Amino acid sequence: MKIVLDRPRCEGHGLCEEAAPQLMHLDDEGELVLDREEVGEADAALAHAAVRMCPVAALRVA
Amino acid sequence: MTIPPASGIDLFADEVVLDPYPVYAGLREQGSVVHLPKNDVYVLTRYDAIRGVLADWESFSSTSIGFNPTVNEALTGTSLASDPPTHTQLRATLTENLSPRALRGLKGQIEAKADAAVAELVEKGSFEAIDALARAFPLEVVADLIGFTGHVRDNMLRWGQAAMQVIGPMNQRTAESFPIAGELYGWCSQVRSADLAEGSVGRGIFDAEARGAIPPNTAGHIIHQYLGAGVDTTVSALGNIVALFGTHPDQLELVREDPSLVPAAFNEVLRFWTPVHAWGRRATKNVDIDGIAVPAGAQIAILFGAGNRDPRHYQDPDAFLVKRNPIDHLSFGYGPHGCAGQGLARLEAHAVIEALSRRVKRLVVGPAVRVPSNITRSIEELPVLEVIPA
Repeated sequence: MKIVLDRPRCEGHGLCEEAAPQLMHLDDEGELVLDREEVGEADAALAHAAVRMCPVAALRVA
Repeated sequence: MTIPPASGIDLFADEVVLDPYPVYAGLREQGSVVHLPKNDVYVLTRYDAIRGVLADWESFSSTSIGFNPTVNEALTGTSLASDPPTHTQLRATLTENLSPRALRGLKGQIEAKADAAVAELVEKGSFEAIDALARAFPLEVVADLIGFTGHVRDNMLRWGQAAMQVIGPMNQRTAESFPIAGELYGWCSQVRSADLAEGSVGRGIFDAEARGAIPPNTAGHIIHQYLGAGVDTTVSALGNIVALFGTHPDQLELVREDPSLVPAAFNEVLRFWTPVHAWGRRATKNVDIDGIAVPAGAQIAILFGAGNRDPRHYQDPDAFLVKRNPIDHLSFGYGPHGCAGQGLARLEAHAVIEALSRRVKRLVVGPAVRVPSNITRSIEELPVLEVIPA
């Protein structure tokens, strides 16, 4: 499974990082960095939680 | 597919807007979608249906976010009332100076302002919380942010209230508010960079226009949206914080014991009492919502507060519990049109909750006074009779 970020849509609210700090973080400039784009079964729930929390629907899993 | 159940409720009747939750519960049990012939709208009542519609901009257009044609006409060309692809550029322009990224530098100032305001009120010992805090604080933050001075500062509250009121149906409240919303529109149409304080975000928007980063003649419209959307809603949320902590001292105590609950507490305040009563969309085609047929062209009314109390999504939804942390509440909407100012709202509210929970042990509040309003549901007067300091 892959996490896909719609970069122009991301506004840096940071709720995804709260949901899945193992997978992504906001850098010093407030830009989202996906630390792991490919996620295995073990982290699927985390990835889905991050996608669900994004308030502007900038994340999805493919 | 079945036809939508119907209800004789008037969504904007005084008694409904004052206390909508019993009405929401009844409508939610009737179905995900309920037709209200009195308002000629189809209301969305359940959590999943609301989130689904907010995500689906192709089937549900934002060109009809208001409940009267005049306001929808007036909002044409704004990010609020447009659909992708036009919306995408307008939204980017609007959020360039409003995203959490852009606001990072303001966090310290906002926290200092909130702390000073709360400290002064604790010192006084009793006060009227809506004027003294819920209105005063966001007005100061937004005025300083945009760089408003003089008479504009004095008009911000009534302009902001009117801008939300006119989104309702063409009732007496809307008719009386249109001239006031017009004053705001008129001022924003002629405001120039020099009218705004040096170093303000408002000046920054004009600078962006001057260097071609945003289209010509858009700076005034952006400032219009900051004021129209960012005042009345925040006033509501901050008043609700004081009222709910006053009536739920055990929940304030939980935040006092564990300050990491501040964001969770704000999420729960927004879920429990939703600042925006109803918001529109228009069905662009025949659509199926949970097996109910909604016809092309139907005016939709999204009831965020009904979704926020949906027992299918939140356990024990009528209880105010700060530990619940409902991050996915619907009060900021969701998706492409999710509240553009939510980063600023969080900065303001977190600062107020943090200061209150650090400086106050308990608030003794009197009865809250409400007045009917079409779109924003907020407390008009809230006496704090006694502050027991920490």
